[in-house]
Amino acid sequence: MEVAQDFAQNFGLEWPKFIAQVLIFGIVYYVLKQKAFGPILSMLEVRRKHIEELEADRKKVKERLAAAEAEAKELRLKADKEAGRLIEEARASSNALREKRAQEATLEAGQIIAKAREATQMEREQAFAELRRDFGRLLVSTTRTVTGKVLTKEDQDAINEEAASQIAL
Amino acid sequence: MQSYMLLELNTLLAVSIQAERLPFANWLTNSIFVAALVTVGILYLSSKATRKMMLVPHPAQNAFEAVIELLYTQVEGIVGKHVAPKVFPLLATIFIFVLISNWSGLIPGVGTVGWGDGTAWMTVKSVSVPVFRGPTADLNLTLGIAVVFMVVWAAITIQEVGVIGFLKHTFAPKGGMTGVMGVFVAVVFFMVGIIELVSIAFRPLSLSLRLFGNMYAGETLLHTMGTIGDKLSPVLAFLASIVFPIPFYFMELLVGLLQATVFVLLCAVYVRLSTAHDEEH
Repeated sequence: MEVAQDFAQNFGLEWPKFIAQVLIFGIVYYVLKQKAFGPILSMLEVRRKHIEELEADRKKVKERLAAAEAEAKELRLKADKEAGRLIEEARASSNALREKRAQEATLEAGQIIAKAREATQMEREQAFAELRRDFGRLLVSTTRTVTGKVLTKEDQDAINEEAASQIAL
Repeated sequence: MQSYMLLELNTLLAVSIQAERLPFANWLTNSIFVAALVTVGILYLSSKATRKMMLVPHPAQNAFEAVIELLYTQVEGIVGKHVAPKVFPLLATIFIFVLISNWSGLIPGVGTVGWGDGTAWMTVKSVSVPVFRGPTADLNLTLGIAVVFMVVWAAITIQEVGVIGFLKHTFAPKGGMTGVMGVFVAVVFFMVGIIELVSIAFRPLSLSLRLFGNMYAGETLLHTMGTIGDKLSPVLAFLASIVFPIPFYFMELLVGLLQATVFVLLCAVYVRLSTAHDEEH
């Protein structure tokens, strides 16, 4: 007991000081427990729950995004396939149309050429006919002038025929 | 004889081992004064941190939350999920109060401003009664905290395992031996239980003396380093009083943190040891 008293005396341990320090610490403990730790721990709990909810939402969004991406990929593939098919169809249709147009054009060109040839033939024949007539008239006129004889209808026809046969040759 | 030696030691020490009474208020010691200031500071900071709390925290709230979260994780890791909510407020208060008290001893003016033999106006040869003294450099505070902890520890232990459970936990033989060996083991465990009770009884003293000894030694070290060049010329003495203590200031910052941590960890371990039985089930 004496040792304890000496110890207390040398280290300045006194009941009033001791109680004062305990009271000070007690006040800090009480106030922090009531006003600080409780609200802070509650806030940390609220935040933890909030973060958990956000994390769950994030997972859901991620899953939805993955599903949407898969769906989009599928749609893209389907669209690619459809587009390929359409392109093929268009190409085939285009080829068929081109061939049809080419055939039509060829046919039309053939017709135009035939018509042109026919027209040319007719024009040539007409020209030949006019030439024969003109040549006949010229020959008759020349024969009349040279011979001084009035040519009969038969003479004129004979000369014309002869001339026409010569031109045809 | 022992008392005489301690008194002699007291006169040789650079810093008094006892907290000094302030001349303007004889009922008040300088360590109680600083402890009150620390209390005001802690309450102000905590009130600032917990005012208008938001889900997205403001800076003060964020800092306070970071400390609380860190402490709670550590305490929960030691004492377990069940006991942590009961013991956390006390352990967190001890940590914050001890840490700030330890560091308050490093604030310029603490231990160096006060009363002494005057040599000129506002100048003393050496400060014999400082206005401020680090609160943890006073055994009254460290013992007070340790005693408060032991009271709460006893309450939590009884609440968790009960008096019978505590006595069984302390004295009951383990290992399930029977016969002569069982009796021998029972006697050994009974003796171990008595040693355990003695060790528990000394816990407040070991906790408080460890903290007090470290902080008081730090104050003495800083004081010694600050006055080590006093015998030199005034300019060199001035420079020495600045340069020599600087490394020790950093060391004391670390010691202050370490001692607060050690105090709280030991308290948490004591709680764990006495409530572990209940936790395991």
